[in-house]
Amino acid sequence: MSFTQIARNCGRLAAALGTKRMASSAVVQSQAARMMHRIAVPAVANQVSQKFALRSYSAKRTIEDIKFRVLKVVSAYDKVTADKLKVDSHFINDLGLDSLDHVEVIMAMEDEFGFEIPDSDAEKLLKPADIIQYVADKEDVYE
Amino acid sequence: MSTRRPAITLYRNLMRESEKLPAYNFRMYAVRKIRDTFRANKAIRDFAEIDRKMEAGKQNLELIRRQVIIGHLYTADKLVIENKKTLGPLDD
Repeated sequence: MSFTQIARNCGRLAAALGTKRMASSAVVQSQAARMMHRIAVPAVANQVSQKFALRSYSAKRTIEDIKFRVLKVVSAYDKVTADKLKVDSHFINDLGLDSLDHVEVIMAMEDEFGFEIPDSDAEKLLKPADIIQYVADKEDVYE
Repeated sequence: MSTRRPAITLYRNLMRESEKLPAYNFRMYAVRKIRDTFRANKAIRDFAEIDRKMEAGKQNLELIRRQVIIGHLYTADKLVIENKKTLGPLDD
């Protein structure tokens, strides 16, 4: 890497950090970016998820937070019609997804919550409610 | 039913690996191709045929892995359309 490139990269980094008003670290930003990469999400949702990303480092998570984020990720998947989506709707029977779509939804969950879901667990998570419960167990969140 | 689990795992691995491709066009092509091919082949019932397709899929997984490494050796600037965070890949 040449000196000009290094200088240019530093400039870009500074510019990128300058535009964010929140005092978020680079780690948080890249985390937020990772969540965003799958599907086009409106700008508002962007801010919301960033707020949640920050919050998850500071305050204790609640079931409500997890529920909100799970439903947001599911409704962002382009084959899901948002008005049919409920916590208890079955991905395959109610929402009309196939097993490959299901894999992609689970992958989106991994990106959102930042941990890996093994296949053996993934195939049991057939409703948003199952995912919420699974994430809550993983994160030690109780009612 | 017994071929289901390996197929799902292969799909997932292919998807995960494709996301790492640094070049926008390669990445989008790979994801689209994987989705379409798996859907097109989901009705196959012949076990020999399934084995052949699975083998082809595994070879393509290796190919994508190599291509990710090569892609990172020779990176190019991102396309203008990638600057939208919402469409971006894993940009770190």
